[in-house]
Amino acid sequence: MAEKKYTEEHEWVKLDGDTVTVGITNHAQESLGDIVFIDLPAVGKQVKAKEELLVIESVKAASDIYSPLDGEVTEINDNLSNDASIINQDSENEGWIFKLKICNSDQYNSLMSLEQYLKFLEK
Amino acid sequence: MTEEALQNIYLKDFHKKHYAKFISFAGYNMPINYKHGIINEHIHVRNHTGIFDVSHMGQILIPLSNENISALESYIPLDLQNIKSNKCHYSFILNSNGGILDDIMLSKIKLENKEFAYIIYNSSRKKILNEIFNKTISKFKIIEDRCLIAIQGPESFSAINSILNLPSSMNFLNIEIIKFNNDLIYISRSGYTGEDGFELSISNINTKKLLREILDNNNAILCGLGSRDSLRIEAGLSLYGNEINEDTNPIQAGLSWALDKNRLKDNNLNCSNILSKEIDSIQKVKKIGLSPINKIILRSNMTIKNVEKKEIGFITSGCYSPILKKSIGMGYINKFSDMSEKIYVNVRDKYEEIKLEKIPFVKKNYKKGD
Repeated sequence: MAEKKYTEEHEWVKLDGDTVTVGITNHAQESLGDIVFIDLPAVGKQVKAKEELLVIESVKAASDIYSPLDGEVTEINDNLSNDASIINQDSENEGWIFKLKICNSDQYNSLMSLEQYLKFLEK
Repeated sequence: MTEEALQNIYLKDFHKKHYAKFISFAGYNMPINYKHGIINEHIHVRNHTGIFDVSHMGQILIPLSNENISALESYIPLDLQNIKSNKCHYSFILNSNGGILDDIMLSKIKLENKEFAYIIYNSSRKKILNEIFNKTISKFKIIEDRCLIAIQGPESFSAINSILNLPSSMNFLNIEIIKFNNDLIYISRSGYTGEDGFELSISNINTKKLLREILDNNNAILCGLGSRDSLRIEAGLSLYGNEINEDTNPIQAGLSWALDKNRLKDNNLNCSNILSKEIDSIQKVKKIGLSPINKIILRSNMTIKNVEKKEIGFITSGCYSPILKKSIGMGYINKFSDMSEKIYVNVRDKYEEIKLEKIPFVKKNYKKGD
């Protein structure tokens, strides 16, 4: 399995075969604060990169989460519908949000590495 | 507004050391929450003790001369000669249309044998109110050298009593002047959470010492404006800028209980002719409590619609209630709307069904006298 990649929208993306697992970064969950609900997308949904895919409701605000890549939603983390605070507790593992079957690996390769993301955060 | 332009409260560094996250609020750089997060802070206040630094709020001492009383009574609907001393009164600064320029807590207190009106007002309204005070009253003192600390929750009495030795007769909305470290603390049994609690006006230099003593010896945590907001919504309390503003009068806002009815007949009150008519007329809108059927969060400014998708009102405040574990909100609706039909809010292009709830959402827990 490849190293995680990152987006400017503060998502992490992990490639396994032709499918990526997507979640939000620890930085993102910290700035959102207590997360209470998540409006998960339907499995089978076709999306383009940077398209709004779902909404996370934290105590402070509703935040759109964008698809990092073109693809089709193949799986969602149903545990989050009952307890969205899992994202606060473990955003980079147990708090994964959805899986996406991708068709364009160039798009994936152009995402940021961890090192680049950390530099991006410092800006 | 840039961060440089924001004002800081006196204990900013103390809060930073306690892992406060700051937001810009009404011109101030204010803690929104600390390391436990908004939900945990909220629950802690309902079960134990929470400490809020609300020093951004305005505090003023006004000597109660006849001239000042007459000026204050021209825009405050209280009978200042006859209100009880050592008691906090919730009231308003009104404009000539009866619109609410601010909601205030006013207490008549004695300092060095002189009577003063001690008023706490909203930070977002400081500029407007200070202009009014400057124009109309004399020899007042805008308090800049004192913090305002709210200590809230069912264990707040024992937390404070072990340090300040409160009089046993002190009940909800009583205010006392108590010595601490050669300082006089103005302490009222009040707050904004629906819980038993106290608000303390205390010299800047003594505040840290008092907070440390309370934090070290009690199950108390620092809490920010985030939990203060969800606590006040659960308690059904109005917030200036949300439920009330210059375009609503106290009667429309369901706050006529706070008006001295005799003052509505007094021509010295700038809006007595308008409010005295308004109080007898049937209100067109009413304040309601709401919750959604689905897992969404009600937030201010969402519109409320009927079955025909016609707008019948709007949400003034909404939040996630950590106690009820669902979203709650308050709003205004047209009084003549048919409430036997379903009602909705418009959220992200979807119509989400909402239902009426009783206000307050969570039972208030004040220490009332026998």
